[in-house]
Amino acid sequence: MNELSEVSDIDFPILGKPAKELRALGNARHLSLSDPEWAAIQAHFKGLKREPSLAEIETIAQTWSEHCKHKTFTSPIRYTEGKKTRTIKNLFAETIVAATEAVKKPWCLSLFKDNAGVVAFGKKWALAFKVETHNHPSALEPYGGAATGVGGVVRDILGVGLGAKPILNTDTFCFGRPDYKGALPEGAHHPTRTLRGVVAGVRDYGNRMGIPTAGGGIWFDDEYRLNPLVFCGTVGIMPQWAVKKEVKPGDLIVAVGGRTGRDGLHGATFSSANLGADAPSSAVQIGHAIQEKRVLDALLAARDKKLYGSVTDCGAGGFSSAVGELGADCGARVRLEQAPLKVSDLDSWEIWLSESQERMVLAVPPKCLKALENVFAAEGCELAVLGEFTKTGRLEVMHHERTIVDLDMKFLHKGLPRVEREATWTNSHAAKPAGGTTKKAGDALREMVGHLNVCSREWVIRQYDHEVQGGTIVKPLQGVRHDGPGDACVIWPHAATGDMEDFSCFAVGHGLNPDYGRIDPYYMALAAVDEALRNLTCVGADPARAALLDNFCWASPEDPRQLGALVRAAEGCAAAAKGFNVPFISGKDSMFNQSKDEKGKELPIPGTLLISAMAPVPDGRKAVTMDFKGPGNALYLIGRTNDELGGSLYHRILGRTGGEVPKVNPASAIDGFKALHAAMTRGHVLSAHDLSEGGLALCAAEMGFTGEFGCLLDLDEVPRDPRIYSNETLLFSESPSRILVEVKPENESAFLRQFGKSAKSAMVRRMGQTTANPILKVTGLEGSTCLEEPLKELKEAWQTALPKVLG
Amino acid sequence: MSVKIQAANVHLIEVKLRSEFNDAEGSAALALLREQGLTNLKGVRIGRLYEVSGALSANQAHQAGKDLLCDAVTQEFRLVPAAPAPMNGMNFWRVEVWLKPTVSDAVGATVAEAIAEGGLPRPASARCGMLYLLDGRAVKAQVEKAVAKSLANPLIHRVVVTEAHP
Amino acid sequence: MKKPKVLILRAAGVNCELETANAFKHVGGDPELVHITELRSGKKKLMDYAILSIPGGFSYGDDVGAGKVLANQVRHTLTDLRQFVRLGRPVIGICNGFQVLVKSGILPHSNACDQSASFTVNDSGKFETRWTHLRINTQSSCLFFKGLPEMIELPVAHGEGKLVLKSPRHLEDLKKTKSIALQYVTEDGKLMGYPHNPNGSIFNIAGLTNPEGNVLGLMPHPERFMSLHHHPNWTRQTYRKAPVGLEMFKNAVDYAR
Repeated sequence: MNELSEVSDIDFPILGKPAKELRALGNARHLSLSDPEWAAIQAHFKGLKREPSLAEIETIAQTWSEHCKHKTFTSPIRYTEGKKTRTIKNLFAETIVAATEAVKKPWCLSLFKDNAGVVAFGKKWALAFKVETHNHPSALEPYGGAATGVGGVVRDILGVGLGAKPILNTDTFCFGRPDYKGALPEGAHHPTRTLRGVVAGVRDYGNRMGIPTAGGGIWFDDEYRLNPLVFCGTVGIMPQWAVKKEVKPGDLIVAVGGRTGRDGLHGATFSSANLGADAPSSAVQIGHAIQEKRVLDALLAARDKKLYGSVTDCGAGGFSSAVGELGADCGARVRLEQAPLKVSDLDSWEIWLSESQERMVLAVPPKCLKALENVFAAEGCELAVLGEFTKTGRLEVMHHERTIVDLDMKFLHKGLPRVEREATWTNSHAAKPAGGTTKKAGDALREMVGHLNVCSREWVIRQYDHEVQGGTIVKPLQGVRHDGPGDACVIWPHAATGDMEDFSCFAVGHGLNPDYGRIDPYYMALAAVDEALRNLTCVGADPARAALLDNFCWASPEDPRQLGALVRAAEGCAAAAKGFNVPFISGKDSMFNQSKDEKGKELPIPGTLLISAMAPVPDGRKAVTMDFKGPGNALYLIGRTNDELGGSLYHRILGRTGGEVPKVNPASAIDGFKALHAAMTRGHVLSAHDLSEGGLALCAAEMGFTGEFGCLLDLDEVPRDPRIYSNETLLFSESPSRILVEVKPENESAFLRQFGKSAKSAMVRRMGQTTANPILKVTGLEGSTCLEEPLKELKEAWQTALPKVLG
Repeated sequence: MSVKIQAANVHLIEVKLRSEFNDAEGSAALALLREQGLTNLKGVRIGRLYEVSGALSANQAHQAGKDLLCDAVTQEFRLVPAAPAPMNGMNFWRVEVWLKPTVSDAVGATVAEAIAEGGLPRPASARCGMLYLLDGRAVKAQVEKAVAKSLANPLIHRVVVTEAHP
Repeated sequence: MKKPKVLILRAAGVNCELETANAFKHVGGDPELVHITELRSGKKKLMDYAILSIPGGFSYGDDVGAGKVLANQVRHTLTDLRQFVRLGRPVIGICNGFQVLVKSGILPHSNACDQSASFTVNDSGKFETRWTHLRINTQSSCLFFKGLPEMIELPVAHGEGKLVLKSPRHLEDLKKTKSIALQYVTEDGKLMGYPHNPNGSIFNIAGLTNPEGNVLGLMPHPERFMSLHHHPNWTRQTYRKAPVGLEMFKNAVDYAR
């Protein structure tokens, strides 16, 4: 292709233009291309001796966007820590991928390359898990943004391998506090409105699709007020034969699902840009869950008939990225006039780039087309042949006989110039705890149970259909009155497997605590992995079979301190994977989560890492919940308590800063988790709950008021750092890897046997017992009662906090 | 019921919950509007609006309202005439919230499909909007501002506020 | 033993079909997922089946009103449904399926086939998932409840589940014809308001049957209580009775044999 005139549509002349002019052209179209990227594009087309078309520029911009290429994680970084500087060639490869390769698990079936990570689930089945973020759209339009976030991650699961059936949704949010009273910039929604809208969006999309939403969490901090975070996760199940996918030249490019409209243009490039008041309205959509349910039903029916060789979803970038991705290794020729449209007045580039929801692209052998058409027609789901995959190594797009894109796949996917960024990290050596006012233990605990980051999420959870598909055998709300805070849900996927005799289940847990990250993101990452594994272990999942997902949400990586913190968090992830001997199977990052506040000052979010973990529960009938089951049972504390109140809820309540952030020792932590799991599979554990925000006191209170039994604890029996002399430290320290366990007296020796030689290193000790009287009573180090609180009142404060601010 | 055609082949069908039924959605909307400073509001009732355009006659639109859009027990419907209704001071407000034309309307798509399935001509398009009938004293600018901060998002919605009948 | 054929009705947005099919399969039925388009085209025929089940979900997104569009399709397509009912074959509509049965005029029973009941948004204004205590009307002859204890537990999950009637007169009719199959109650069997009555339904009605007892519509989900391990308190071991859903589906399959 040498003739300039052959590629047309609206031309987009760039040859010979100075950088400044290109930047202006790009900004006007929300392209988010950097100067070096413009230079690379210019050089490429100079070599071709022609101008690019608008559609080509749009295709390149979206393929090279942060959203699609994860430039921050894959480009070189000059990292300075203290006086040492080193170069990281590819942060992702050197941390998360390297650690996963080091732990090497044969049950990992697909890592990092497909739309989701896939692990084996028994001999026949596989589980796919993906967590995405939809932050910017949810900031602009909470309901639609969150709903399409769910829709998008569900399509990732439909588009992994040959397609998996979604069986669980998880949703984790970070918002400004709903009682925020300060000013907001023009156009920003109040955190309460964002919360209500996001919950409604997740609810309506998930419930309509018939996927149980049964995991996740909410974190409140006013620094999220302009940039809320919405993490949408989906687990899917598929037969192991469907994990592999392959596009063959000659396969037809078939688009299925919704029609293409003007909606969602520039979603990919926009999500990488700084959120401003001038956001294009087309970047936001509402979503059509029933359309996606049609696609789901038809796609899985076609999969089981083996009617296609590969599939992917239309996400950011629409057809351009779906076709570009599927055809990356061979080539593709597209005729856009075949695409069914919502409105007739779309420009060629708009059809090509539109991000209309609920669409998927398949690679279909021509002989299967007829049968495929029948399957989709039976479900009332539209289908169109857009072209075919080729052997040319080129991406060719025609619209009514005119070529609008003719790009070399290699340039498109590998031509992105890598620019080195600066990163710095200064270790702020744990400052001594300072400031704030001391409070009595009882007062502090009462305040903690009603704290927004701790209190009951029932208001949210009940709005989700967490029991559809009939497999939620450990529910998010637990205990006598079905309202206590479960550590994780356990899913029995019989609706998908069709086998009600097989009680193989799985659980999903999460870890997130940006307050630790404010002190040190490295330990935040370790703590998040630890928390996710603790949660899994508490409900009976096998911690040795856990698979991890990372989701980083960060402010601008162009700020060296932000990027330094990100490096530190990524290295924490790697250390956790190696230390716990668990792999990462998938992940995602979202950058530039910062906006100008009402005074025009940039407000970045705190560096945030969500760890999601999934593990099998070998026999769901052995699962455990967190509520006390009866009086007179022994209480064992697993794990050692240190003076680690840095970033703790206790410090937040007191208004105190500094202190040691919790530091995980993965090797001894996993020993404790494994021993507990072994005890559970033998039926020796009545209840188990992990110690997280609020430490021992809050954990015991929750187990008590959920089970409606009290307990008597003796702090002198707590396995601990012998240098601790403060009751408050033992009550509220957030040292990781700790779990409180209820055991029947007759099972105590059998329970302890599971800890064997490691009993000492795992630090397990009987430190109390349950009582009939629903009171939390704690004996302090000096031998007298240091805390005595009626559980009923604590529960009321815990339950009413969120409804009080939400109405 | 007098049926007038609003414009050539564009019918606006209004469906409301009958007054004898508790309007939980209306109560929720009332709470949101009060939060935004419309403290004089006494009540909000909710309805749905369907703008159906295409080859349907007024009678056919009426039939679609009766068979499909309106519940036989709980709701009532009418075709909204093009002529403006007489006003009644500032004590009652009619708020329509529509998705902007650039935003896809899932409900509208279902309605168009279901109308065709019911044996009527397939509409060229159907759009669905929310109707809020506000009972209580307020000024228009106040209502518009409160709605933009609670029931509608100016980024994707078009809001029409008019004075109305009780 | 003969396995009765069960038609599990599908349509866009129906989403509890797999667990409902599993439930019937588990108790010895032969379930088949049938899309409404297959019935419309005549490829499948209702009368070839022994049992009809309309599962839960959001048929057509519940756009326009819960179950409304599917109810219209049932009216127009399943023209032999009334005969199916008259022949005494079991019909169960769960959640969205119940809404479809009511809006298509199958329940509550009437000779004129007109709709005399409906559903509005829950009084709480929200979609809610929760386990409820329920009392079976021992006066009614609903075949699904044969042999079950009077007091049972099942989960509900809906946003538009408040049953309302055209007029107070209809409530008297329902009582007289023993059409009230199931009511939301407290743990000790009293009729109380929210959250025991999760949606504000009139007279706490959770399920309706026809006078003959072969048609059941209910908001709670029996297919979500097929195993002891579905009960929210199974880890407390305070619930040791047979799972209610299992018994209900078994009754229907046994009856159809």
